[in-house]
Amino acid sequence: MQFSDVENCAERMRVQKKVLIVDDSPAQVKLIQGLLEPEGYWPVGLNDPRRVEEAIAMERPSVILLDVVMPERNGFQVCRELKSNAEFNSIPVILVTSKDTASDRYWGQQQGADGYVTKPFTREELLRAVRRFA
Amino acid sequence: MRNTNVLILTDDAEFARLLTACWQVERQLPGICVVTSEFWREADTSSPDLIVVGPLKDGKLGDVLRSMESNTALILCAPSEAKELGLLRKKYPKLLHVPLREDWTQVVLLLAGESLRRTEALKLARQAERHAAQYANQATLGRYMYDMKHNVNNALTSLLGNAELLLLEPGGLSAQSLAQIKTIHTMALRINEVMQRFSSLASELREGETQSQVETEEVNSTPIPRR
Repeated sequence: MQFSDVENCAERMRVQKKVLIVDDSPAQVKLIQGLLEPEGYWPVGLNDPRRVEEAIAMERPSVILLDVVMPERNGFQVCRELKSNAEFNSIPVILVTSKDTASDRYWGQQQGADGYVTKPFTREELLRAVRRFA
Repeated sequence: MRNTNVLILTDDAEFARLLTACWQVERQLPGICVVTSEFWREADTSSPDLIVVGPLKDGKLGDVLRSMESNTALILCAPSEAKELGLLRKKYPKLLHVPLREDWTQVVLLLAGESLRRTEALKLARQAERHAAQYANQATLGRYMYDMKHNVNNALTSLLGNAELLLLEPGGLSAQSLAQIKTIHTMALRINEVMQRFSSLASELREGETQSQVETEEVNSTPIPRR
């Protein structure tokens, strides 16, 4: 990395809020990145929910957008574990999921989620949820 | 015993009269039909829950029993020395033998009451099994639809989101492309509205489940009549 790259990176970090997008579908990650970037956010995608803690430690995001239905480790599980970890529990977690029943929302809340966006969402719905925290 | 039927099959009118009279003083009376061996095959007995066989003309007992299905609940009132009794018991596992002693009516009523209660309990169990199978099918359908909804919603997210992304910078698009993307966006929103209706599915399934529980409670609270 060139010095100028480091400088650019530092400048970007100062100005832009990082959003970690955790979704097993690369298409969904790409879409959310596309929706957040024009709004001045710095979206970082992650397709493997088992590596969330690692990604947070490296990226230090301001907010996490977390899918629920994922293989190996579901979003409820990830959220519960993040919220019970003193190192990560201050980072807002927004569940972004197609699970849209009242009991799903309630369960998400029980896991400590700070926000809930149901798929399919409009650009405005997603941005409104993100702006609450970053 | 309200919905049970008993057939009294005898050629002895006094036997039938006495048994019917005794039954009528009981609190629970099944539907009773009396038929002689002569009309047994012709009579429309509409599959009785229990057949009480009384004294028959000589040689008729074998004929009558042979024409019955082996799973028929049967009370045979005959002298204890009846020759065929041993063989009959093997062929008709549900056959109960009541020797014609002085208390035979009481014994028949007692056995018939138990047999009919068992029949009724079996009917209820079969009904419950049918309902359970029905609800299991509906639950499978519900789960299937719920899974499909999840997949459709994911696809719809991409459709709607990418259309919105393209509409964010309409400058580079021709008027025709722009109109087409707007149509895609509108249609995606419409599909979303349709999919929202599936959200009521969960509550409808819960409603169905509650109804089935109410039915079970009703069946449960209906006392099985005892003598």
